[in-house]
Amino acid sequence: MRHGRDVHTLAGPYAMDAISAPDQARFERHLAGCAECAREIATLREATARLATAAAVPPPPALKARVMAAAAATRQRPPAAEPEEEAARRWQSRGRLAIAAGALAAAAVVAAAVVFGVSNGSMHDQLNRAQASSQQIAAVLTARDATMMTGQVKGGGTVTIVMSHARRELVFTAADLHALPDGRGYELWLIGPAGDRAVVMLSPVRHGMTGPVIAAGLRPGDHLALTAEPPGDAARSTGRPAGPMMLDVVL
Amino acid sequence: MTAINRPGPEGGAPPGVGGDLAARLRLVARGDGDAFDAVYDEVAPSVFGIVRRVVRDPAQSEEVTQEVLLEVWQNAARFDPGRGSATAWVMTLAHRRAIDRVRSVQKESARERRTAAADVPFDEVAEAVEASLDRERVRRCLRSLTELQRESVTLAYYGGYTYGQVASLLGVPAGTIKTRMRDALVRLRDCLGVA
Repeated sequence: MRHGRDVHTLAGPYAMDAISAPDQARFERHLAGCAECAREIATLREATARLATAAAVPPPPALKARVMAAAAATRQRPPAAEPEEEAARRWQSRGRLAIAAGALAAAAVVAAAVVFGVSNGSMHDQLNRAQASSQQIAAVLTARDATMMTGQVKGGGTVTIVMSHARRELVFTAADLHALPDGRGYELWLIGPAGDRAVVMLSPVRHGMTGPVIAAGLRPGDHLALTAEPPGDAARSTGRPAGPMMLDVVL
Repeated sequence: MTAINRPGPEGGAPPGVGGDLAARLRLVARGDGDAFDAVYDEVAPSVFGIVRRVVRDPAQSEEVTQEVLLEVWQNAARFDPGRGSATAWVMTLAHRRAIDRVRSVQKESARERRTAAADVPFDEVAEAVEASLDRERVRRCLRSLTELQRESVTLAYYGGYTYGQVASLLGVPAGTIKTRMRDALVRLRDCLGVA
């Protein structure tokens, strides 16, 4: 290559990201065909990494909880690197909705972790649990047919639902729910021709935030309902909502 | 990025801490939250440190640090120990993100940064680099460089300038700066005994 030698002098700037975008592209083309150069860059980056570790300072303590919560709500990428363009194209075809929904759920998890005031010991368990379902949540949010709906709860509050018909699952989050009187709690139901199924008793409302939770096994004609169940297990024994309907969404 | 593999199985992974980090990243790649917790503890100070050095603004530095750690979580499966150590992988992500943040705001504030540039480099680095053995060694190795090499490295890596900007800040031809940067990193690498 005629300019090979000239291009190669960019190794130092490249290893320190001290390079303009066009020069970077030029150098990366060069790297793709020069295994020796790639090895050199790798060794130079071992040196720059030490410049970074030498600059270490403790981050603000609160940052860790934010990072852990965000990770719990973020889908990991698979090992085999797809060609970048292909990956970008597929991602775009999923549309903005899924992306917006992902951000929303991440925010909800972060908010939940913060709002519920989980402190040291329980924080970890909570995040592990959150993470256990986060893969399921992420799968719904990134489904090709993901659609988002919002609804108003009687007595106050907004729910957001992201649903995938293909997966027959939805993710439910709520904000600004009012605390219920008389020890009642919010319960989520699937109601339809296939019968009434209790999904989950929502955690007690504090500062109005709840979720995200997953409802799986959706059937044709289902509604999603939120009821205000009295204490005890009246609903549990009958398998039907015992309290008043606070929200009814046709899925 | 490029798709070059270093020959040899465990190529650049140094023993000790770096090796543990690589092992933990493999666990993180499988969604292991405890491993990610440990990875955070191990790398967050360095990530935050280098990001803050480059970005300066504390709030933005926190944001960028969070982005970097999240990228580590998301892309753990793509870390290839054949291409270098886990530490180098994470610090490369961190530095790139910091640079991206700086360059995206640089257009508006190019003039201010230019004025501020004069007082960035070595003294401040030296101050912040406290008396751990590791830091001491980095500082010693920086001192072993020529003045032009050292200024080029600190302005570029800690200051976030391109080699062209470094050249005009120092009043030296860009071609000279390019080669000084490479020479400096080679010397640092050999002095630090990495790779």
